[in-house]
Amino acid sequence: MKKLLEVKNLEVSFQTYGGEVQAVRGVSFHLNRGETLAIVGESGSGKSVTSQTIMRLIPTPPGRIKNGQILFDGEDLVKKTDKEMEAIRGKDIGMIFQDPMTSLNPTMKVGHQIMEVLTKHLKMDKSAAKERAIELLRLVGIPMPEKRVTQYPHEFSGGMRQRAMIAVALASNPKLLIADEPTTALDVTIQAQILELMKELQKKTNTSIIFITHDLGVVANVADRVAVMYAGKIVEMGTVDEVFYDPKHPYTWGLLASMPSLDSDDKSELAAIPGTPPDLTNPPKGDAFAPRNPYAMKIDFELEPPLFQISDTHYAATWLLHPDAPKVEPPEAVKKRLRKLSSNYPQPVIVKESE
Amino acid sequence: MAEKQKLIEIKNLKQHFNVGHGQVIKAVDGITFDIYKGETLGLVGESGCGKSTTGRTIIGLYQATSGEVLLNGVSVHGKKSPKELKMLKRKMQMIFQDPYASLNPRMTVADIIAEGIDIHGLAKTKEERMKRVYELLETVGLNREHANRYPHEFSGGQRQRIGIARALAVEPEFIIADEPISALDVSIQAQVVNLMKRLQREKGLTYLFIAHDLSMVKYISDRIGVMYFGKMVELAEAEELYRNPIHPYTKALLSAIPLPDPETERVRRRAIYDPSQHQYKDGESLEFREITPGHFVLCSEEEYKKYKAMHS
Repeated sequence: MKKLLEVKNLEVSFQTYGGEVQAVRGVSFHLNRGETLAIVGESGSGKSVTSQTIMRLIPTPPGRIKNGQILFDGEDLVKKTDKEMEAIRGKDIGMIFQDPMTSLNPTMKVGHQIMEVLTKHLKMDKSAAKERAIELLRLVGIPMPEKRVTQYPHEFSGGMRQRAMIAVALASNPKLLIADEPTTALDVTIQAQILELMKELQKKTNTSIIFITHDLGVVANVADRVAVMYAGKIVEMGTVDEVFYDPKHPYTWGLLASMPSLDSDDKSELAAIPGTPPDLTNPPKGDAFAPRNPYAMKIDFELEPPLFQISDTHYAATWLLHPDAPKVEPPEAVKKRLRKLSSNYPQPVIVKESE
Repeated sequence: MAEKQKLIEIKNLKQHFNVGHGQVIKAVDGITFDIYKGETLGLVGESGCGKSTTGRTIIGLYQATSGEVLLNGVSVHGKKSPKELKMLKRKMQMIFQDPYASLNPRMTVADIIAEGIDIHGLAKTKEERMKRVYELLETVGLNREHANRYPHEFSGGQRQRIGIARALAVEPEFIIADEPISALDVSIQAQVVNLMKRLQREKGLTYLFIAHDLSMVKYISDRIGVMYFGKMVELAEAEELYRNPIHPYTKALLSAIPLPDPETERVRRRAIYDPSQHQYKDGESLEFREITPGHFVLCSEEEYKKYKAMHS
């Protein structure tokens, strides 16, 4: 598989009155063609900033890309001018936003918003674009597309609007689709339809998808690989099976354990993660998760943990994987999920030393 | 179930909104159920199914179109003297979805929490009032230093705790929680749910828990009601509803929830609900019928016989 996107040591910060907020603090990952990477994390973890930086949608100032590279098809997006980005944005990289009401233009007909992409990026003429727009609306499962194409967004329901958004994003056959919480505002039944639609379209077009969400159920449904973000860093990354059946980072444990299971009748107290995420104007010394981490050791408060590699695809940044760390038992709810994965190395290997 | 005492009785409640042009939206269209003392009743359904309207009508934020809501056998709606009204409001409180919009930004946390205490004259002196506020803050896991701050200084989870403290201030028996956790982060949701469960144990509270996150609803609720287009289509004990859903809509809803388990997700088969599948004949009356003890389904006479045969 060839890498479509490679993000290397990305650092993004925002200048505010309260000081510099370090929203993304050294994020590295890659994305293969036709693959779906889910980025999970709570609000303020930097998942949306990461994806918006890839699209170069961060207003500068107050935002600033302090460091790092975003290699898309071998070209560094960080170095592109605004003019050059305009040719890529919406053509090679499409984006679906959380709120379909505010991300469609309310004064433009839905058909026009799709045609705009086709005439601007693909240089189609108007009548061909209209035909293609109808085709796209049909593709995303909107009934009577001939009629719908001349309607305004307010005439669409929430789920239909999100479908229209997907049609806009897919109009130019992008190589990369970034979906930022695309189903969070939708009902479960509509959510299931949209997820099915996205997977089906991906199969047809071989688009790579970055899927940002905080819903672990959705992650299990759509993702090939998962990156868990906390306080501006990726704390764990691996294939969906590795992260769900063999999680290594205590934050991932906390996320998995704090969700009630539908199958069990267990009514004992949920294992909540205590406290709140840190303020990124002054990121804490050491591991940012340490103050909320019941497994934190003394070193967690002093030194940032190195990145360990557990298998070819599985990485986690926690001192617990260090050979000198004491053996700990993950929470009960996580222990039930654990499986022996044959792809694991005999010993976790340090791939990046702590700074 | 004889030993269970009914706290709330809802009888054929209807809430219709006139939207002009002679059109009427039947947000809640004749629902009947009881809530027992000390239990949590979960209410689920898609947006627009009328679950929030149900909660708001019960507490009297809307004037019900018809039907009755009884609290301890006393009707909540209709004309009331100010004194009666005050008494009812003390017994029923509400926690709202959006912890950002539901707290007055110009009031300190102490004033927000004590507003009910002041209105109902529950504290004789200033010291007593502040003592109650401090107690309440500690009950919900905040501390007394927070009393003089303003809502904007708090995170979403902390604000929701303030909302809970405000609801508890007048010592209610019954709390309606309208999507209390959906605006919160996953790691914070569990904290708030744990807090609500602890308070229920300690104070013997009764909850109506309205939500669309079905796994949380199942965890917190004793019984669950499923709503669809203003009607309640199924009501059963939480376990029973998840194990043996009967109404096709409930089945479709349950099959749509993604589970945090990649293997089950790979083989997921989603059921699709089409209201025409019932093939009701004209004049067939739909009623809320008991299929197995405590498990009610909205169905026709014919379906009732079919379900009954399948589940006994």
